[in-house]
Amino acid sequence: MLNNKIIDEIRLDFENELKSVNSLQLLEELRVKYLSRNGKISTLFEQLKDVSKEEKPMMGKSLNDLRNFTTGLFNDTKEKLESVNVSGLPKLDLTLPGNKYEIGSKHILTQTVDEIKSIFKGLGFSVSEGPELESDYNNFEALNFAPDHPARDMQDTYFINKDFLLRTHTSPVQVRVMEKSKPPVRVIMPGRVYRNEAVSSRSYCMFHQVEGLYVDTDVTFTELKGTLVSFARQFYGSGLKYRFRPSYFPFTEPSAEMDITCYICNGKGCKICKHSGWLEILGCGMVDPNVFGFVDYDPEKVSGYAFGMGIERTAMLKYGITDIRAFFENDFRFLKQF
Amino acid sequence: MKISLNWLKDYVDLSAFSVEEVAHKLTMAGLEIEDIVDESAKYKGFIVAFVKDRRDHPNSDHLSICTVFTGKEELQVVCGAPNVAAGQKIIFAPIGTIIPNGDFKITKAKIRGVESFGMICSDAELDLSPDHSGIRVLDNSFVEGTPIADALNLNDVVFEVGITPNRPDALSHIGVARDAAALFDQKLKYPVISISESGEKIQDYISIEVEDTVNCPRYTAKVVTGVEIKESPDWLKKRLTHIGVRPINNIVDITNYVMFESGQPLHAFDLDRLKGKKVIVKSTSAESKFTTLDSKERILPVNSLMICDAEKPVAVAGVMGGENSEIYSDTKNVLIESAYFHPSSIRRTAKLLGLSSEASYRFERGCDFEKTKENAERAAQLMAELGNGKIVSGIIDCFEPKIERKVVSLRFARVSKILGYEVSAEEIVTIMKKLEFEILGKDENSITVSVPGFRPDVEREIDLIEEIARIYGYDNIPVISKINVTLDKKTDDSAFVDSLKNYAAGLGFYEMINNPLQSEKTASIIGNKIAVKNPQSLDMAFLRTSLVPGTLNIISENIKVGEKNLRLFEIGHVFNKLNNEEIKSFSDFEEKTKMIIALTGKEVTKNWNNAERGSDFYSLKGCVESLLSKMRLKSQLTTVYPDKANSIFEYHFTKTKNNSILGKGGKVNADILKKFDIQQDVYCFEFDVDEIKKLNPDSKTFIEPSKFPKILRDFAFIFAKNINYQEIIDYIYKESSKLLKSAEIFDLFESDSLGKDNRSIAINLEYYSTERTLKEEEVEKDFNKLIQKIITKFNATLRG
Repeated sequence: MLNNKIIDEIRLDFENELKSVNSLQLLEELRVKYLSRNGKISTLFEQLKDVSKEEKPMMGKSLNDLRNFTTGLFNDTKEKLESVNVSGLPKLDLTLPGNKYEIGSKHILTQTVDEIKSIFKGLGFSVSEGPELESDYNNFEALNFAPDHPARDMQDTYFINKDFLLRTHTSPVQVRVMEKSKPPVRVIMPGRVYRNEAVSSRSYCMFHQVEGLYVDTDVTFTELKGTLVSFARQFYGSGLKYRFRPSYFPFTEPSAEMDITCYICNGKGCKICKHSGWLEILGCGMVDPNVFGFVDYDPEKVSGYAFGMGIERTAMLKYGITDIRAFFENDFRFLKQF
Repeated sequence: MKISLNWLKDYVDLSAFSVEEVAHKLTMAGLEIEDIVDESAKYKGFIVAFVKDRRDHPNSDHLSICTVFTGKEELQVVCGAPNVAAGQKIIFAPIGTIIPNGDFKITKAKIRGVESFGMICSDAELDLSPDHSGIRVLDNSFVEGTPIADALNLNDVVFEVGITPNRPDALSHIGVARDAAALFDQKLKYPVISISESGEKIQDYISIEVEDTVNCPRYTAKVVTGVEIKESPDWLKKRLTHIGVRPINNIVDITNYVMFESGQPLHAFDLDRLKGKKVIVKSTSAESKFTTLDSKERILPVNSLMICDAEKPVAVAGVMGGENSEIYSDTKNVLIESAYFHPSSIRRTAKLLGLSSEASYRFERGCDFEKTKENAERAAQLMAELGNGKIVSGIIDCFEPKIERKVVSLRFARVSKILGYEVSAEEIVTIMKKLEFEILGKDENSITVSVPGFRPDVEREIDLIEEIARIYGYDNIPVISKINVTLDKKTDDSAFVDSLKNYAAGLGFYEMINNPLQSEKTASIIGNKIAVKNPQSLDMAFLRTSLVPGTLNIISENIKVGEKNLRLFEIGHVFNKLNNEEIKSFSDFEEKTKMIIALTGKEVTKNWNNAERGSDFYSLKGCVESLLSKMRLKSQLTTVYPDKANSIFEYHFTKTKNNSILGKGGKVNADILKKFDIQQDVYCFEFDVDEIKKLNPDSKTFIEPSKFPKILRDFAFIFAKNINYQEIIDYIYKESSKLLKSAEIFDLFESDSLGKDNRSIAINLEYYSTERTLKEEEVEKDFNKLIQKIITKFNATLRG
């Protein structure tokens, strides 16, 4: 006797069998089995005549639903299979390569600077820039390099004449920023710098730096440490160990260099970190009161910190580039990798 | 600078600390230990052994067969040395030992048929001296099996210390020991100076006259007579060799030794070669010639500080002595000079002479003006001990006017203000004392100290704060856990250039970074170049005037390695002089930010689904237009003109707005390409980023898209070829009503059937209103009127 249970079973059977249909031929077999004139569903319709008058409209509707549902599934499957040729292969050779639409890229050094910028922007820094052809005053004198001081030997300089030079660091932008605005200032200053050194795999006549400066009424060494630790965690990884070592820059005092555990060897000691387990990543310190004097800030009222880091070295370590010249040869095969 | 740990331990007791601890603490106090060399490592394996028995080798007339006792076993060893004998204690290298001189490994060997299990060594094999005439015979008190490094006291560790320019005090063993003593809470032990003097008066030997007291504030002299010039004893030679100084003779070695001990450069003159029993310290008034003790004749610049005798200069003060007064093997009497010269005077002379010595390095950083006397006496003492000299009584010490110590005050509150952390007053006082600052006064808020002469870098309160932080330890200063961020608007100077870079990359260009230093030839192609005064090479002697030449260079290099299809861009600074004068101010030159895009080779390479397409002028122009449209500068006037006079481009175009040029570019002239050895077409455009930034509207504006349908029309005309497309389009806009929103070419056709001088141009027209639905008729009217006008204006023929 026809009932809803039988109808449900037929529907489930149909659905199950359809799952294993992967060709038009099998689909046709399924159609014959269920939907043809002598198929299972047509047979059910024949049984309708035996159903009681009261139940007939309901059963009829259930059967119609079943037929519509299965026919719908049949049609969908047929459409899908028809887009596939008889042997089971797609009509298109989907394995052929797609058309080439090439997106270019920014230089890996730009990408590295971008990453550093975005971290410091998140820490409340603005971004300032300055010229590469600088005055001796901005590059040295106002940064507390006395004219005859051996500190000048720390940075081999390309001179244009006695008053102008190619900046040896991004620090002159500090002078420019402080001359232009009153405290508080919190800026990073990315840019290109030049050193008069013989070109080799480890040094080039120019490179890039990101400089940072924060001057306000209560800036302290503990905050300098905190800010740079935050940067290093974001840039190099949260688990790193770090240390601050005393160093010397004429424009900061106290001055420091920041080392992090070598991420090549994890601090065990390797060729890259010269077996020390540490990598020097930046120089920093509290702005020297003499610098404030040059830009007319009152060192009794404000204090500040500054830091600077080289980009090439960072990118070389991060990407395993062993020759600094590779950045500036601009070999297309190099550029395309980043 | 090299510091020997053994030597260091003369002045500070570090026996309780490991080498690593010492290195770490010094590094963390600002004396960075860049390298640690274990001198004993090269003597690894060598031991003391005993020759129990010696007999002749049966197959050789000069070899011996020895039985060697190592303390553990007896071994048969073949030895070639003539002086080997039974009963000797010798240096033995068992199998497996690496010989430092020659870097080879001892293996079991058969020498003329006799087996040998090791090697009896001479000094030469251990690199102890060049003497390889025979084996080294050791004192009989040595015990067999003792490592040779222990037996001969060869154990030393040498630190390579990076000394920053502000720390001349650390350019000596005592200086480093002072920091070590402070860090390890030990006492600094100065060498004890005790001399016995002969009774003769120094004034009978020499008189000193300092003419230039500004550049020579202090000159101290001591005389030692009757010295015997000879080799220095082993211990002294070893100390010097370990720190990389070549031993010369006892007198010269002593002056070096005292310098590396105390930081005070000394000079030893042969007293008998000084004429007139006189030393005069003065600056040169004219350029002159002088032969230094390295036998080189040098030209001394004016105002060089010189040491002279009654007749002639005998030394370049603080830099190098003269050949005419140096210590020779027959020297008998020595004048020891221990002076304090003005740092910038020495630096200037050394720089101008291009001559740097250990002495000038120290003087130009600032030596200790307080201890010249003690250091002269220290050298005299050693000359008496090691050269059998007699020390003449008295000392000449020209120190007028006397340099006073600097006095600096420190407010305790200032320490925490800068460091963000409180260091107690007691701790501050302790640190100051450890570093030999003298406490002159102290109250509850501050202390006043006098600065010892060896610390020229300390002049201000902040310098003392640094000393406190350094010894207290940077790592002991806590890290703040939160930072404040101000609410002010943040600015980003680089944002505009960043967006340009993003757009260029989106258009498929790859960013290059080129060296702005170029050869004269490259920098001369365009603009007014600026020269670098002191270039490394002629290839890098000028600043780039444009991004074009550098780009062509990169294209050329890439083509050479087979990369022929290139899309490159760069944003960087270019430099041009604005007049022909020397640069005296920022207004004499211009540093501008430029951007270049460059195309060469195939734009689309041949592919199964695409035909190949080469980059051409319109590829370049399209990219320029895309970029400018992203800058919201699209609708600006474009001037296109072939310009034979222009030397860079065969044909080029310029983008202008409000009379300011946004950029120039085109197809690069073949003559220029030839200079770069490029054989394929190159298209490039150089934007003036500063101008674009100025004109780029800050805010974006919104125009509501029209809700009403568009009506499209098109037509094609035959025009004479000499009529520019731009002329036609401009005319179409001018003569149409406001309903025409866009007119654009969609086909260009040339054929013989149209006539040689004609071409067909087909144009799409788009009409719509933002306010209402247009009627077909009104567009039709506008359109037909336009057709008639074009026919009349350009003498064109409508094709359809």
